[in-house]
Amino acid sequence: MHTKDQLEKPTAPPPLPELPEAAEGEETSDLILVRRSQDQDMGAYDQLVRRYQERIYATVYHMTSNHEDANDLVQETFVKAYRALKSFKGDSSFYTWIYRIAVNKTINFLKQRKNRIHLSLDDVDFNAENDPDLVALVSEKTPRRDLNLSELQEKLNSAMLKLSEHHRMVVTLHDIQGLSHEEIGAIMDCNVGTVRSRLFYARQQLQAHLADYLK
Amino acid sequence: MNTNPENFETLRKALAIKRHEVPPPGYFNNLSSNIAARIERGECELTFWERLHSSFTLRPAFAYAFAIAAFGTFTASVLHSGKPTAAQALHQEGLATALGPAAAPADFAADNDNPFSAPLHVPNWLGNTNPGAPPQVLPSLFAPQSHAVTVSYEYGN
Repeated sequence: MHTKDQLEKPTAPPPLPELPEAAEGEETSDLILVRRSQDQDMGAYDQLVRRYQERIYATVYHMTSNHEDANDLVQETFVKAYRALKSFKGDSSFYTWIYRIAVNKTINFLKQRKNRIHLSLDDVDFNAENDPDLVALVSEKTPRRDLNLSELQEKLNSAMLKLSEHHRMVVTLHDIQGLSHEEIGAIMDCNVGTVRSRLFYARQQLQAHLADYLK
Repeated sequence: MNTNPENFETLRKALAIKRHEVPPPGYFNNLSSNIAARIERGECELTFWERLHSSFTLRPAFAYAFAIAAFGTFTASVLHSGKPTAAQALHQEGLATALGPAAAPADFAADNDNPFSAPLHVPNWLGNTNPGAPPQVLPSLFAPQSHAVTVSYEYGN
């Protein structure tokens, strides 16, 4: 059993520029767009889709490591959300609500697809070569310093796929997308302690899976 | 890589590469129109069961309430099915009082309108497994008009 300090210490979220925490104005605007969408205004729903499509796609893609699957799941998520929009009462933000649909849909898909894994990775953008974290990582004098970015990408995605769906989801939402523990708890319908615990064990497992490549 | 379980700094750096993975150029330009097309094609119609499942997925509390209600209904129906209704009880009690305890079963069996009054058909070959029942007379294997012919033999012929 790990102490609270052990679980909390490694969970400091990295400062990311694309933190998807919804601003107050954005949330208000979301509500207006939701109300209009509930009145069959497709233009309003199109705005909501455009607002969240990149975040939802990223979540699903990092879970599946497959662009085609992610594309299907993102479309199904937004279609399903539109179907269920009448039942949206505004108890939570639209952002949490749509994430919840995407997360549940993706986890169900992965459970059905168990053991039929096929990587179809997106390209790494040119900014990656200038990312200080990646520069430091690749240039370190390690036994595998010949490891290039595309190899690292493949190894990392393979290691991610070895995690359970819930552990992978927590790493995706926190370490890659920068959501807070509280937001993840609201999305995954579990308490913050569970989120912290899952994150700790997921990182431990990832570290073990990648030990040969990143010594 | 630092394998200290409390130090995930190298792992955090490695995960940075995931933030640089991007879908093919122009992908997000078409995504919303694809979604709108699917909605307009009528893929947004929900059946009753899909709506129910959707409610369960999005509101676990609703799923629990539904499960409790279903279990309660099942339990109540099981308990209720073992007891006769008040009308049935009154009817049977009235019959028993009017005809006496011995006559009641016979009268009940003679009621032609009652579908349960007809005796169950039991095939002869099935036999009776009730040890307290009177012995069952089975038909003879020989025809009743058959008769035996006496014969005699003399020793030595």
